[in-house]
Amino acid sequence: MKLKVTKSAILEGLQLVQNVVSARSTLPILGNVCLTVEKDSLALTGTDLEVSVRCALDAKSTKAGGTTLPARRLLSIMREMPEENIEIEIDEKDVATVKCGASFFKIMGLSEEEFPPIPKFAGKYNYTMEQATLKNMLKRTAYAASSDETRYVLNGVYLSFKGKKLTMVATDGRRLALAENEMDFPKEAEVDIIVPTKAVNQLMHALSDEGQVKIHAQENQVAFEFDGVLVVSKVIDGTYPNYKQVIPSQCEERVTIEREWLLTALKRVSLLTTDRSSSVKLAFGKNRLELTTNTPDVGEARETLTIKFSGKEVAVAFNPEYVMDPLRNLECDEVYIELIDSLSPGVIKCDSPFLYVLMPMRVS
Amino acid sequence: MHKVFLHVDMDAFFAAVEQRDRPELLGKPVVVGAPPDQRGVVSAASYEAREYGIHSAMPSREAGERCPHAVFLPVDGKRYKAASRAIFHIFERFTPLIEPLSIDEAFLDVTGSRALFGSGPEIAAKIRARIKNELTLTASVGVAHNKFLAKLASDLEKPDGLTVVPSDPEEIRAFLAPLGISRIWGVGKVTQRNLEEIGITTIGQIQNASARQLNSVFGHTSAHIIALANGEDSREIQTSRQEKSISREHTFKHDCTKIARLEKTLCGLVEDVGSQLRSLERYASIGQLKLRWQGFKTITRRTQITPACCDDFTLRDIALALFRKEKITKPVRLIGFAVSGLVDERPSEQLNLFASGPERGDKRENVSNAVDRIRDKFGNDAIGGGRGIIEEEDES
Repeated sequence: MKLKVTKSAILEGLQLVQNVVSARSTLPILGNVCLTVEKDSLALTGTDLEVSVRCALDAKSTKAGGTTLPARRLLSIMREMPEENIEIEIDEKDVATVKCGASFFKIMGLSEEEFPPIPKFAGKYNYTMEQATLKNMLKRTAYAASSDETRYVLNGVYLSFKGKKLTMVATDGRRLALAENEMDFPKEAEVDIIVPTKAVNQLMHALSDEGQVKIHAQENQVAFEFDGVLVVSKVIDGTYPNYKQVIPSQCEERVTIEREWLLTALKRVSLLTTDRSSSVKLAFGKNRLELTTNTPDVGEARETLTIKFSGKEVAVAFNPEYVMDPLRNLECDEVYIELIDSLSPGVIKCDSPFLYVLMPMRVS
Repeated sequence: MHKVFLHVDMDAFFAAVEQRDRPELLGKPVVVGAPPDQRGVVSAASYEAREYGIHSAMPSREAGERCPHAVFLPVDGKRYKAASRAIFHIFERFTPLIEPLSIDEAFLDVTGSRALFGSGPEIAAKIRARIKNELTLTASVGVAHNKFLAKLASDLEKPDGLTVVPSDPEEIRAFLAPLGISRIWGVGKVTQRNLEEIGITTIGQIQNASARQLNSVFGHTSAHIIALANGEDSREIQTSRQEKSISREHTFKHDCTKIARLEKTLCGLVEDVGSQLRSLERYASIGQLKLRWQGFKTITRRTQITPACCDDFTLRDIALALFRKEKITKPVRLIGFAVSGLVDERPSEQLNLFASGPERGDKRENVSNAVDRIRDKFGNDAIGGGRGIIEEEDES
């Protein structure tokens, strides 16, 4: 196989693919990127057997074929190429010859046949939506997913295509983020899947703000197709907890707060928390919200915000990171905080279909 | 004004209590601890037994070989505790400044008691007399103007002795000079050997040694050692000692390989640790498992507890998690559990959204406290976890 490609195109493709390529894998082939050449395109594929990323880019080829080359080494070589036009030729023993200007490289590859194939998709679970919408929904929820491997069902984002809408949920058992978007699909295409965090991160990285994305789901796989990029992932096998039961059906007090304002105030007071003691107390009084942290042997911080509030006084302690997470990932100007009492879940909402439930901390 | 400290140390305490309560044992070699045909060690030996070279911490088997006609008695903790309480009640008549070091040993600061009860040596004599008359036990007492000297002195005239250390600095130096270096706190076997290598065997030689010579052996602690060698020690009485850790361990009569039995034993130890932790109203942030294999190789495994806790349920989960990580390929001789990193404040705790998550800490704590109260009132066996209902195995 033989092809000509531009430096910027192959760099962009390699950077996208290399995130899933593991540096230290027990299987050497998984450290490689698969190159497949057809007429006017070059497809790059990387996989860690859980998540695969394929991306197609423009290339001129005189001879079709395929091979695999060490991903990280190829990326660093391409990064340093002196000129824009690059020529790659691969012989039948999977040895690649790379020429660019006065530079010449010979790289030992492995046969394409050893590379794990990307599963094929067929069936009724197909959906189309705006890339920007998917990206935004992931951004609003993914941070709440658990990284505790013993709770593997929570190590991803739950996507439920039901009742003419996509509901996305992530939780680590302490807080829960939920985003919704109306969608059109037939009743028989209703399904729910859990997409692992690794694939979610890939998507958030690769999705752009324009154009559409096609989603295909089947038994244990899900595929996202957009802009010549294909992200295929295993789905997490398990039953997602009944998240609906933890969303409070009513609240005692509701406060409107400027998002940016609350976020910066929280950032400041949380400077005095430590890993061992991390809680910030939110005390709502008449037209004021007082944020305080108090860490033994470290110090204390207090911040007072003027708000519109005339309800009964209520104080509740949260992990400040857990309050800041949604505030950082929303774009709206105002958020609504709903509270019941100091030991019941608090809720953060905004004007779009988003909901965040957060359990307080019990402090002495 | 010099302070006056007493160090009171009971003579062969466990053995003495046994001899007092069973007069037929008077004058006989008595060994309290494991029987000579079983594994375990000597907890205490009467002076008659010590003549055969028997001392505490010696394997009972060896004690039996050294003195086959010795009377071996099991440890009767309750009776020793009762005697200990009576002794401390006597101390309390003379001063409130009491620092217990163990069940049969304490420091007393009697500086302020002299106006009422006479000089230090007089108070020491009175305490010794009270212990003898009221409890029929003997104590050795050291009187000095600091804790180090008092403790050193009580050991010099054992048993049934009273040693008064002079208060003049020069006299103190002279008093210490002929004594062996191992009398100094912090001088263990290794340091002793190192000192002997440079020709130092007595405290007097340390008093006269050059700082450089001592630095080579002690490093940065040499200043402290020199102070002690000159009889200087400025520590005060600590009436309430803050526990740094709480531990319990169990030695099996026969090395054990049965996982269920090991786990059950471990859970029992955890409950003991937990109940003491709660009685101190503190929370533990580190848990530690100890396993001794057949052949004395010992391992310890520890883990952080976040948030710090004091309830049996969390402690048990932690102990079992540590235990289950270990492969029990060899028979286990001893199993133990300890907590450390103790804190006074109830830690703040992140609550869970889902009911399937761990139970809220305050609920677990309340249940554990309730169990403690039930056990206080009705005895240890009145209530227990379901785990305890494992069929008892034949221990032979």
